[in-house]
Amino acid sequence: MDKNLNQSEFKRVKQIYFSIIALTVLILGIHHLRLGTLGIALIVMVAISEATILVYFFMHLMTKKKTVHLVLLLTVIVFLTLLFWPAWDIAYSPRTPSEFTHY
Amino acid sequence: MSSQNDSDLVPYKVEPREDTGLYNAKFGIWLFLASEIMLFGSLFSAYILLRVGSFSWPVQSEYLNVPIGALNSVILLSSSIFFIIAWAALKENNVAKYKKFMWLVISFAILFLCFKGVEYYQHFTHHEYPKTSVFLALYFLLTGLHALHIIGGIAVNIYYAGPGMYLRRENKQWFINRVEVAGLYWHFVDVVWIFLFSTLYLL
Repeated sequence: MDKNLNQSEFKRVKQIYFSIIALTVLILGIHHLRLGTLGIALIVMVAISEATILVYFFMHLMTKKKTVHLVLLLTVIVFLTLLFWPAWDIAYSPRTPSEFTHY
Repeated sequence: MSSQNDSDLVPYKVEPREDTGLYNAKFGIWLFLASEIMLFGSLFSAYILLRVGSFSWPVQSEYLNVPIGALNSVILLSSSIFFIIAWAALKENNVAKYKKFMWLVISFAILFLCFKGVEYYQHFTHHEYPKTSVFLALYFLLTGLHALHIIGGIAVNIYYAGPGMYLRRENKQWFINRVEVAGLYWHFVDVVWIFLFSTLYLL
């Protein structure tokens, strides 16, 4: 939100708004198709696209200074590390004696 | 103490710092949002790990009201665009338009909470509580925390649409910056809802 909102910019904001709404409808469509694992992957991808559009245009991340990008990059790295560390542990740790034989 | 003296005591309230390129409040809100990403991120991590680690998981959309969730998405997205219009009006010194759209933001946020309340009511009437299952515990925790953020946002927005307007008389640009920062927080809450809706209602 760094500039005055003139007519052309307001038109662009409206286009972004309707594109996000369209992506929400797309997500609902994918959900109703019941595509299983593919559906999960598609829904996650579309949700990430929606959030990225919102952050880039409504929060003007694309015009932000390097400091903001650095703060967010560090946050994402720490978050992904914390997310996949236990995921890796769960994936490679036996939970029951029957599973133990598979490793 | 006048605003001029305040500016002397605390620099970079309006003008950006040389090193970060941001004024204090904007740098502060991005640091705060980073901590919020970690907060919600840890809960999303808990959801993912509990789901992949469990032997069975319920069909989530059978538990939750997808149409209300979708409607709430549209309501929050609309409130975000209203916030941008309000902020732009403020920059153009159109206070009446600013107030009108800020109250629209607040109204839509309250509408969102009302629909969330309807959903919660439906769960409770079906005897579905956080203790019922792991999924419902995560659902109530994540959506409840998000609703608390909405309530916090409403409080801030009411302040800037009403009593906080006195700041504009003291220092116009300072007030515009504060509203911008509140807007960044509001858009972030919207982003969180996009992920909550996709993860809890549709996966």
